Amino acid sequence: MSHQPAAACSPIPARAGIGLRFQHHQAVIEDKPQVAWLEVHTENYMGCGAPLRDLDVIRREYPISLHGVGLSLGSVERLDLGHLACVRRVAERVEPALVSEHLSWSRILVENPSTYLRFRHSTIAEWEFLAAVAARTGCGILCDVNNIYVSAANHGWHASDYLTALPSSAVGEIHLAGHSIRELDGGRVLRIDDHGSRVIPEVWQLYSEALSLFGPVPTLIEWDTDVPPLDTLLDEAARAEALLRGAPESVARADAA
Amino acid sequence: MPTLLEIQRAVRRSLLAQNGEADAYVVPDGLAPDARLSVYRNTIHGTLTTALRLSYPAVYRLVGREFFEAAVRIFIEKEPPHGAYLDEYGAGFAEFLALFLPAASLTYLPAVAKLEWAVSRALHALDVAALDFSRLLAIDPADQGRIVFVPHPSVALVRADCPVDEIWRAVLAGDDAAIAAIDLGSGPVWLLVQRLDTGVDVIRLSAGEWRFAAQLCAGRQLQAALDEAADIDRSAALAGHLAAARFTGFRLEEAP
Repeated sequence: MSHQPAAACSPIPARAGIGLRFQHHQAVIEDKPQVAWLEVHTENYMGCGAPLRDLDVIRREYPISLHGVGLSLGSVERLDLGHLACVRRVAERVEPALVSEHLSWSRILVENPSTYLRFRHSTIAEWEFLAAVAARTGCGILCDVNNIYVSAANHGWHASDYLTALPSSAVGEIHLAGHSIRELDGGRVLRIDDHGSRVIPEVWQLYSEALSLFGPVPTLIEWDTDVPPLDTLLDEAARAEALLRGAPESVARADAA
Repeated sequence: MPTLLEIQRAVRRSLLAQNGEADAYVVPDGLAPDARLSVYRNTIHGTLTTALRLSYPAVYRLVGREFFEAAVRIFIEKEPPHGAYLDEYGAGFAEFLALFLPAASLTYLPAVAKLEWAVSRALHALDVAALDFSRLLAIDPADQGRIVFVPHPSVALVRADCPVDEIWRAVLAGDDAAIAAIDLGSGPVWLLVQRLDTGVDVIRLSAGEWRFAAQLCAGRQLQAALDEAADIDRSAALAGHLAAARFTGFRLEEAP
């Protein structure tokens, strides 16, 4: 591929970050905790007022990653241009000085979802689809390792097969989170990606596998349901950071040149 | 073979209305298709309920969790969101509550919702710099009557038949004594909502002041608005709006 890999032009270091939620704004502003970077949901800052003013302060201390959840890139219907304009407005306001706005938007990362059903008319596997999207559009991949684990468990896939099918040079970020287990009628179990608990050991194991394939990639701890004290998030980030430090540098971007 | 568009639309409709339309597209694999779709449906309901609870916290406290969730479920089906920016979702909730029979005994509920929507809009309104007075002073006095002000996007004017501001404050503060002291029959209130640096402010105006402010915010020419406000201290009212940064700009219109 001729384009540069995301990590090479990313302002986000190949270290562990945490998802920043409103309830931790003050703690982050006042205590300036040790964490390499922060990710926020774009949609939470589309209005102005206090949250955005907090972020204006916070972004002077930390690299910020904007993570949109509402653009519906997979929709066959027309892209919501109003929403896109809102995303752009937030990007213009929040972009820290060390990021070029142009670069960050020329290469959006697309994330693999957690899924709970498969469609009868699907013709290719999800990982083949993601790899093809990355190859054809030049977009990068946000590899959510927990989502891979959840979907693999729900559909009987092999999580390792999913990981190895992804083009390593396209992986610009990794997400980690906790999920829950729901028992449905007939004893059938579905794993639900609710971002409401610690990362489970099996997902840490899969994360190690991902690092051995992709090299050190910026990694985010996400937590959205029953958001715990900031220290819990920092503790999870420290675990990711320890694994990142042990990741084989040489693997990274071997095919990027 | 259905098109992807057909599948996506069927899934959207069956998630909102649970009409079974998408079942045929889903591989059962040991579970009823709708049990799988329900996972997504629950996420949608949970997310939208949270969005509305954040925009309508006093309504939520007044009716309680169970009632709120039941009302929201029906509201979502009637008025699903049009976009993913959820701070903008729920504009029609006050009107919905006004027609929602189970809430009919809470006569003040739609008014509380209306005020909360104005407060929520104010919270999320865009940041716009206040009007620069020097530009205003540069206008020839003979032309001043043709000034049309641009209100700050956070400013809203709310009228209610009951002391909705007292209810809203007391409920959010959890102040039972204040709630008990509210006289629902104390007559209408005329309110101005605005975001300040310290948070969203809700102040009471007199009926005349409120109408004057409403005229200015609706784009009425200054002279016409002044002429209709003979019953109030007009210069004080205008100075108050300017000092409180309720306008962000102005233009000169042709005389009517």
